[in-house]
Amino acid sequence: MIRGGMWRRRRTRQAAVAVCFLAPSLALFFLYRILPLFWNVALSVERWSPLRPTRWAGLYYYQDMLSSDTFWLTLENTMIFIASAIPAIALALVIALLVNSDLRGAAVYRTIFFLSYPLMSVAVAIIWQWMFEQKAGLINYVLLSLGVISQPIPFLGSFDWALPAVIIANTWQVLGFYMIILLAGLQNIPPHLYEAARIDGVPALARLWRITLPLLKPSIFLAAIIGILNSFSCFDLVYVMTHGGPGHATEILITYIYKAGFEESRFDYAAALTVVQFLVLMALTILANRAAGGNAGAVE
Amino acid sequence: MIRGRRSVVLLRHLVLVLLSAAMLVPFYWVLKTSITDENIFAYPPHLLPTDPNLFSYVDVWYLIPFPRFLWNSVVVSLLAIAGNLVLNALAGYALTRNFPGQRFATLLLLSCMMIPFQATIIPAYLITAKLGLLNSYLGLALPLLSTIICIFVFKASFEAVPRSLVEAARIDGLGDLRILWRVMLPLSRAAIGTNVILAFTWSWNNFLWPLIITRTVSMQTLPLGLANFLSYMENTTSALYAFVVMVLAPGIAVFLMAQKEFIRGLTSGAAKG
Repeated sequence: MIRGGMWRRRRTRQAAVAVCFLAPSLALFFLYRILPLFWNVALSVERWSPLRPTRWAGLYYYQDMLSSDTFWLTLENTMIFIASAIPAIALALVIALLVNSDLRGAAVYRTIFFLSYPLMSVAVAIIWQWMFEQKAGLINYVLLSLGVISQPIPFLGSFDWALPAVIIANTWQVLGFYMIILLAGLQNIPPHLYEAARIDGVPALARLWRITLPLLKPSIFLAAIIGILNSFSCFDLVYVMTHGGPGHATEILITYIYKAGFEESRFDYAAALTVVQFLVLMALTILANRAAGGNAGAVE
Repeated sequence: MIRGRRSVVLLRHLVLVLLSAAMLVPFYWVLKTSITDENIFAYPPHLLPTDPNLFSYVDVWYLIPFPRFLWNSVVVSLLAIAGNLVLNALAGYALTRNFPGQRFATLLLLSCMMIPFQATIIPAYLITAKLGLLNSYLGLALPLLSTIICIFVFKASFEAVPRSLVEAARIDGLGDLRILWRVMLPLSRAAIGTNVILAFTWSWNNFLWPLIITRTVSMQTLPLGLANFLSYMENTTSALYAFVVMVLAPGIAVFLMAQKEFIRGLTSGAAKG
């Protein structure tokens, strides 16, 4: 009896301690993740003004958005940005396969490929605007010297080239992260599978196709999900390299949201945009997760 | 057979060297520009620096309030590191204990991870304004003070501590805080390293949040200073590129020193939600 009581008291005490320990973090996440999520929805159906109280606006801002050409262009650019993760992941997979295994110097290669990922993306943006510069940029110089082009291209000022240029800079930065994720996946494949296949005389290409790729599927889709989320996090790159321009040629949803909110003080419209982007990304993430067999980014 | 294999290895090196070179060239180009004080728009551009010197690095100190930006970045990063160590260790420890609601808390944290910070900027700005923290160090650091990935890094590390050790400490009459401080943390050096590195990187590089909530130049951090330098001066001076190198150097140094902790943090975060 006494033991039972003590045990129960200890359990309540433990629970109280755990809740106290968790409280500060949970409070922060409530304040900066959960509350904003719902507040966004509330803001998007109200007419917001810094001075007057808000008034009900219904779906006005959503209609406004759907009839705006800029919104559709921005959505298209965001989708192109997300789709650019596919070739990037393919390239990262090639690199991961090349540096996996006991190749001499593999660690050095890995460091080089990963080096650009943790860097300040504002600095990365400046590095790349300089690479793409019309007169002094290395890229124009090399292309001209090789005779690929006859006139220097103003990459970041051109409607056709600005988006691909920003995507190249973004790929340069995240490539190493994809590689690291795929390498972690490759190292989880049990080596005896390869040995068995080799003994059975399965050729290398078939081993890649039949063993490596199927077992790597969760990692590949995890990389894809990171690519999807990257359309949020590449704000810095787009904002600094082109500020969304020329026109709206490189505008993506997150830069459009920022401009609507903080340059035009249309918090209500920006909130509606945020809700739409969040829903689109959720849908894509769920789709990617389904395609991966439901365990990309699964919790162990 | 052996010769065939050797040529395959050689081919792999060749491909990797070419790709590595492509990855490193942008660094070289900026470094080269930063140590040249000739007209940087001269055509054709020199592939090697002519008459290298460090004048542009001196210019940076005169053209912009560089020490102020650096100080602001350092203060915010230190706040973020301290916050992450304390809050994440506490939360990670709580998640290793059995208590009703533990599953719920884990699930809540995992779903919060699906909400990118950038998706919250409008309300986050309004909340920070309501708290009266616009244009302050605390306001700059507040959303960065705890990180979900890092909570799970601590949790995994604490779970690896032998249970017998924890029980022994408990029998000796140590409370939870003491167990965390005396038993768990000394055995979690790697997790602490991961926390410090990730918190530093995220706050050091953060651009969008300071862009939104700083009002005065005296509160701006390095990324903002860099972006403003570009928009005021255009890209006409090699000092801009000297600035880029000065800002990147600490990040690269930290990364090269603690690459293992960094990658462990990111992959454990990625693989475990």
